Amino acid sequence: MSNQTKSQFVAVASITSELTAVMVVAKEISLAAANAKAIAFRAGDKAKGFQPITDFINELAKETIELVTNINVSALLLYRVTVNEYRRTSAYNRFQLAAKLADTAVYTASMEVPVSNAKLRMDECQRQFKRDVALLLGQLETVMHHARAARVIAANSRIEASQAGEYLQNLQAVAESVDKAAHTIHDNVQRCRMALSVYHNT
Amino acid sequence: MKMTKIYEGSHQWIMFGRDAGKPPKLIDTNQYAVRTANRCLLLEPGGVELFAPMMAAVLHIAPVEQITDLFASNPDPDVISSLGLWDQALTNAKLHAPAIWEEFLNHYSCDSIGYAPIADNGGTIKLDSVELQLIPAHYLYSSGNFHVYDPQAKILMSGDVGTALETPDAPVFVEKFEAHIEKMRFFHQRWMPSNQAKRAWIERVRNLDIDILAPQHGRMFKGDDVKRFLDWFDALQVGIAV
Ligand SMILES: [Fe+2]
Repeated sequence: MSNQTKSQFVAVASITSELTAVMVVAKEISLAAANAKAIAFRAGDKAKGFQPITDFINELAKETIELVTNINVSALLLYRVTVNEYRRTSAYNRFQLAAKLADTAVYTASMEVPVSNAKLRMDECQRQFKRDVALLLGQLETVMHHARAARVIAANSRIEASQAGEYLQNLQAVAESVDKAAHTIHDNVQRCRMALSVYHNT
Repeated sequence: MKMTKIYEGSHQWIMFGRDAGKPPKLIDTNQYAVRTANRCLLLEPGGVELFAPMMAAVLHIAPVEQITDLFASNPDPDVISSLGLWDQALTNAKLHAPAIWEEFLNHYSCDSIGYAPIADNGGTIKLDSVELQLIPAHYLYSSGNFHVYDPQAKILMSGDVGTALETPDAPVFVEKFEAHIEKMRFFHQRWMPSNQAKRAWIERVRNLDIDILAPQHGRMFKGDDVKRFLDWFDALQVGIAV
């Protein structure tokens, strides 16, 4: 297996593990949103500005979970393409070697068709890999946007929390945990994109 | 890859082995081909690493498109891990292999080669006008296992039965049977699990008229050495690890 192929496998595998972590954090945000909703309800008028924010956080968490679920499907497809590309490249190389080893054998020419077919299949796989990488990068970009939006909401939440009297601390804690979670998601997704960007437009 | 023609009649048998370029970590294997007018059957086509030299050698006897049949006595890597590569090279081929191993063998990635399952009681492979018999050899040593008998050429391709562990430059035929025994003993005692299975196989094989017994490793047996081998194997206690 060539180094390029190895790092391709590693990149695809690392995405899956980063995404698993993102999923856990997104679920945490959704929990924080439910928690915030309960507090805001108890706080009544004092947390009036906070209530729509909790709905928004919840929505964002749900969307992130859905997005990551779809990205996981794409990552699995990318893994399959990677396996196929490896198989086809290896076949092409071995077919060429066989034709070379056969040298002046009576039927060496009959290898021409398998060799050229293998080349076509290998090239198609490489194009497919690049297309799938571009698609996945786009999907990851969307998650990044969500994470950035969550951080803006967290900042707004802090302002609203400051007007919530005795609920200030509770609501601040909610804002804090959303901010932290969004930060983690942002970092993890960023690492996925870095791992893939090597294969983009190369 | 060394090629030895072992039968020439209405069709041919060719033995391939002793590949000089074989990585030293791999057990040496013998591959066989049966060539008829328009078709070619490869028996125990071999491991991934052997694919290119094997393909190159076959090109001396048949064009790629006439390789229509593959046979695997069992699903071991040294027998058939090259399947995924043959699958991408051959457009019109079948794999004859034990029915009970079908879903296991599919792990080698097989898209275009069709699986021709061999039922437990055996069957035949028809190649133009040649008919080969698939002789049950279960538990020798694989639990679903077949050997290939050609009544016309009087050749029995005996899979792992008859294996000898020796240097890769060894001659292709046994020359002194007595001297050969020690190269076979441990393999048969340790790899073959069942005295009962061994006895059933010997009874079946003694009824066949065999000129050449052709195993997947080591040397082939011809003439009286075939009977000597059967007698020796008959008396051997196998399944010694328990
Ligand atoms: Fe073997």
